[in-house]
Amino acid sequence: MSRPGFVLTVDERTPPLLVHQGEGFRLERLPLGSRVIYPPDSLKGVRNVDAEIQHALLNPLGIEPLPELLYPNMRLTIVFDDLSLPLPQMQTPDIRQRVIEHVLELAAAKGVDDVELIVANALHRRMTPAEIKRVVGERVFRSFFPEHLRNHDAEDRANLVEIGKTKHGEVVELNRRAMESDLIVYVNITTTPMSGGPKSVSVGLASYRSLRHHHNVHTLRHSRSFNDPPNSAMHHSYERMADLIGGHVKVFTIETSLNNDTFPTATSFLNKREWEWNVADQASYLAVKRGNELMPARARRKVWQKNVAPYAVTGVNAGLPSEVHPVTLDNVHRQQVTEVQGQADVAIFGLPYICPYNVNSIMNPILVMSLGLGYFFNLYKNRPIVRKGGAAIFYHPVEHEFHPVHHPSYIDFFDEVLTQSTDPVVLETKYEEQFATDPWYIQLYRKSYAYHGVHPFYMWYWGAHALEHLGEVIFVGGNRRTTARMGFKAASTLADALEIASHTVGRSPSITYQHAPPLVVADVR
Amino acid sequence: MAADIVDDGPAAGPGEHLAGRHVLLTGATGFLGQATLEKLLSTYPDTHVSVLIRPRGSMTGAERLTKLLRKPVFRKWREAVGSDEVERVAAQRVTVIEGDLGTVAELPADLDVVIHGASTVSFDPPIDEAFDTNVAGVVQLYETLAASGADPHVVHVSTAYVAGVRKGVVTEASLTHDVDWRAEAAAAAAARAQVETASRRPEVLRKVMAEARSEHRKAGPQAVVESAEPARIEWVNKRLVDYGRTRAQSLGWPDVYTLTKALGERAAEQMWAQTGHRLSIVRPAIVESSLRYPYPGWIDGFKMADPLIIAYGRGILPEFPGLPDSVLDLIPVDLVVNAILAVAAAPPEPREPGYYHVSSGARNPLPFRGMYENVHAYFSRHPMPDSERGHIQVPSWQFPGSTQVERMLKTGERAVELAQRTLMRVPASDRTRTWMRSLHRRQQDLEVLRTYADLYQSYTQAEVIYDDSRTRALHESLPPQRRLVHGFDAAEIDWEHYLQEVHFPGVTASMRAFSSRPRAKSGGDAALPQRTDVAAVFDLEGTVVASNTVEQYIWVRLAAIPRSQWPRELTDLLRSLPRYLLAERRDRGDFIRTFMRRYEGVDEEQLRKLIDETLGEALLQRAMPEAIRRIRQHRAAGHRTVLITGTIDVLVEPIAPLFDEVVAGRMHSRDGVWTGYLDSPPLVDEARAAWLRRYAESTGVDLAQSYAYGDSYSDRAWLELAGKPNAVNPDPALYRHAKRKHWRVQNWGQHTRSRLEALAVTGSSEVNR
Repeated sequence: MSRPGFVLTVDERTPPLLVHQGEGFRLERLPLGSRVIYPPDSLKGVRNVDAEIQHALLNPLGIEPLPELLYPNMRLTIVFDDLSLPLPQMQTPDIRQRVIEHVLELAAAKGVDDVELIVANALHRRMTPAEIKRVVGERVFRSFFPEHLRNHDAEDRANLVEIGKTKHGEVVELNRRAMESDLIVYVNITTTPMSGGPKSVSVGLASYRSLRHHHNVHTLRHSRSFNDPPNSAMHHSYERMADLIGGHVKVFTIETSLNNDTFPTATSFLNKREWEWNVADQASYLAVKRGNELMPARARRKVWQKNVAPYAVTGVNAGLPSEVHPVTLDNVHRQQVTEVQGQADVAIFGLPYICPYNVNSIMNPILVMSLGLGYFFNLYKNRPIVRKGGAAIFYHPVEHEFHPVHHPSYIDFFDEVLTQSTDPVVLETKYEEQFATDPWYIQLYRKSYAYHGVHPFYMWYWGAHALEHLGEVIFVGGNRRTTARMGFKAASTLADALEIASHTVGRSPSITYQHAPPLVVADVR
Repeated sequence: MAADIVDDGPAAGPGEHLAGRHVLLTGATGFLGQATLEKLLSTYPDTHVSVLIRPRGSMTGAERLTKLLRKPVFRKWREAVGSDEVERVAAQRVTVIEGDLGTVAELPADLDVVIHGASTVSFDPPIDEAFDTNVAGVVQLYETLAASGADPHVVHVSTAYVAGVRKGVVTEASLTHDVDWRAEAAAAAAARAQVETASRRPEVLRKVMAEARSEHRKAGPQAVVESAEPARIEWVNKRLVDYGRTRAQSLGWPDVYTLTKALGERAAEQMWAQTGHRLSIVRPAIVESSLRYPYPGWIDGFKMADPLIIAYGRGILPEFPGLPDSVLDLIPVDLVVNAILAVAAAPPEPREPGYYHVSSGARNPLPFRGMYENVHAYFSRHPMPDSERGHIQVPSWQFPGSTQVERMLKTGERAVELAQRTLMRVPASDRTRTWMRSLHRRQQDLEVLRTYADLYQSYTQAEVIYDDSRTRALHESLPPQRRLVHGFDAAEIDWEHYLQEVHFPGVTASMRAFSSRPRAKSGGDAALPQRTDVAAVFDLEGTVVASNTVEQYIWVRLAAIPRSQWPRELTDLLRSLPRYLLAERRDRGDFIRTFMRRYEGVDEEQLRKLIDETLGEALLQRAMPEAIRRIRQHRAAGHRTVLITGTIDVLVEPIAPLFDEVVAGRMHSRDGVWTGYLDSPPLVDEARAAWLRRYAESTGVDLAQSYAYGDSYSDRAWLELAGKPNAVNPDPALYRHAKRKHWRVQNWGQHTRSRLEALAVTGSSEVNR
């Protein structure tokens, strides 16, 4: 049993604490009395992953063992989570590869010929052949790519099917091949409480017509947080859709969970609590920091993007989605939840170099917003770590850079839409449709490697709850132009940021620093 | 100082001198002419004035007079008596004779006085123009006067500098020279024809062509021709200027202006005085803003010394080739006007012309050093605003002598030229454009300095004093009560006061207003008007994507062959590079033709697959997001979007959906394999313009309202066709052209990926996976 999560109160003996800041990090001395939330220590992984997978496939929850579901001449579709999981990418072999190989072996043994593999990328960019190969492994790639291993295309009208509407009138339109299969096997990685379960098929294989029912401002403002499914309007919608899907097609899901070994051994100090750093950790901190700063920007990005995590697998569970997901969530909670007493006036977050949408790409200002006010702010259960009307201080350079191939609509969104308004509701009512149906963005999504035209809007909605909740948003070290464009403030130091925040929260606010990554979900009592 | 001079006391006895007389004024719209007319109208109530004004454009002479009466020189008078009175006086006392000295049919027979003030204002006009106004004009005046039967007293306004290049004191007398003005005038009149003939000689034309070609070859043959002819005309003009200046210097005058004024005097003496008439010659020195009347500091435009003063104030005259102790002979305009009118009222005996120097040098000299000290003091106290960057600091002069200054100038000019030539050859970037801008400014400054140094050298180095004893005597003959308003004693000028309180504020006022204006914000592009009859035409390479033909070829090759064969392919390409560069220098079309041969043997079907898989992404990596946004905006506004490129059509397919029309090259293929030949000549420079013209005709597109986007000087021809041309990341030559023509300059490609990143994509194609 590893150590549970921990809330540190900063006192005179507390060393400066590590804060992530884009493609870099720093040690920051927090004001005395500040509280710091640490995740539980990394859990031990399962000893024999293959045996664990085999066991899960043969002893599923709420459904017959997989071999019994397979028969010759059936249509089998294997769907797996895309590049946005896990973060950073895991060391090969990827857990998805291992699971898929087991499933394919069972299928082959049963004489199943009609097998298709589909990336559940929804409106995310297509994965490149190299990226797919990395996830599924050489053998699977060679056997199936490109005819039987492909990205989901949410704009290919011929390959979409509307299977009905939920009782709330939500259209469920999904990948035709998957829906017309005799069995869907979904291979999942759950690294946050928001993913997996009902979300897998209903979101991963959906089209814009379907996604708009839960990816909107109203739903996100009522998802408090979206990392706490019972209290998330978004997940309620997923569940309604999953129910409909369950009545339509058999889904056998395999969910996996990982531990918190986010950083490789060379930078293992990033996984540790600062006062426990030994001499080697301190030396490597200095060396890595200095080396990182000396590197040219492009090389630095390359190095960070090449970083792969030595995650260990903490659980593999298979069966009906509704039966499997609670078990998986339990594993995730064990790794990530730390209990905190009460809210603070000021929350501090250090935003790292990666988010689900910039793998092998560039973290642009919109993604920074969604990472900070979307993902990190929502890493809570019950209540946000900061009180309503309080201030959030993020660390990130918020550089004015975009990837022209991956994020073309983001560039236009930033230059043409955000200059008009930053209010999510205005953006949604006035501009979303136009971006979502733009033929050029659609072409780039389908033929190139671009996120769908509507995706930057979703990023903005992701922060809608935080925008409503917070009284002040400040970026330490943030580019003034880009932060101002998004309606935020930039400060050069924490002291300045607190000075700015003092208008909202006074001179001696209570402060909570959510120390991540490795990820931690605050259970605020 | 008495500023209330407008108020004539009863003792002044206005008009008693020219009362009841009829005065003809030539050059009334000029600086001196305006002031003289104003004075006549406002303080000589009983004098009738005829003015000779030539119709200009759609305006008649009378209309020009009406406009003239609204100018600042008449302001004080207008304020004092009211506009109605001004109009009444003008209607009653002024007769407009339409025409100029060459065309006027006849002059009134009852003229008592003629004030001849018309002359060219430029120092360095072509020789024929200078003689035309300053000599032929004079001849015509006297011929017409003689024909009219009148016997007026002519006040012939000349300049003190007719004395020519000499040292010491110059007296108020007829000039001593024996230049035959008729022969000179005839030679000058013939010069243009000669030079025109000479300019058509093949040697000259060849040189002109060579220069035009080196500068405009990239833009196409038509552009070369179009710039060759204006260059020839400019050559003719320069040559004629040179004719004038050199001829003047060979005869002992600093420039053609003073030469022709001198010859004009001689013509006047011979044609008027010696035929039994009364003639006075008034020779003012450098006429500058008025001391008191109509108000202190009045000036019309920039006079001789003013560009120098302004240039100094702008900090672009680090030194000047003047002698610190030479006399700068300035004289306020109101003193000159008073002198002219006093001379007009005091005619000499017939056949005995009177000569008057209106100058300050003899009795109240202002040394060049004194001028400098005043200018320096003035601008130190009231520096010129430097747009939005505070104020300009003025330089301190050491007066190192003309040789030193000349050397400094030459070095500067050479350095700028060298830098410019270098810059035209380096690849275009934001930084080179900044350098271009600062270099351009530096060059302009040097040009200003050079012009002034050449022009004013003889004036600022003059060691000559113009004796003004006759003028002074005339001034002293005025009744004392008249002297305040009508006097012209140069000795009373307090230079420090005049320069710093009166003159400099006058001449710098307009410049100050200009440069303290907030700079126009070069904001974003205006919203596009919604209409369907316009096109937006885009070049591809450098405009929509940052890559070029060679780069695209490398992608195609590297994506198609395994990594092990890359070095061979690249070495081969490198080896051929000099050949391609030579072709490119020769002709863009030639280059494309030569380079495309490399595609020989490419299987089109396979290439399409590669494009789908990796090359398309590489192209998008190198695309400029701003360009794509702009294209889409044009589309949204209903405009037709057109892509013109020399690249092969297959390669632009990934971005083809953005355009209504794609005009690209096409490879000739046999059985689906490319032969390395193009199907039709590559569409470059002026061929694109021709295509665009035809496209507009056949589709009804209004080119004058259309948009064009290009990055290279070779795009000039077709960019010019569109009413709204844009230079996107322009090369130096196009940048220079765009700046001159006030085209929009776009700086695109902020989020474009680098060459290497695009290359990395093609390197991960199927064969290399």
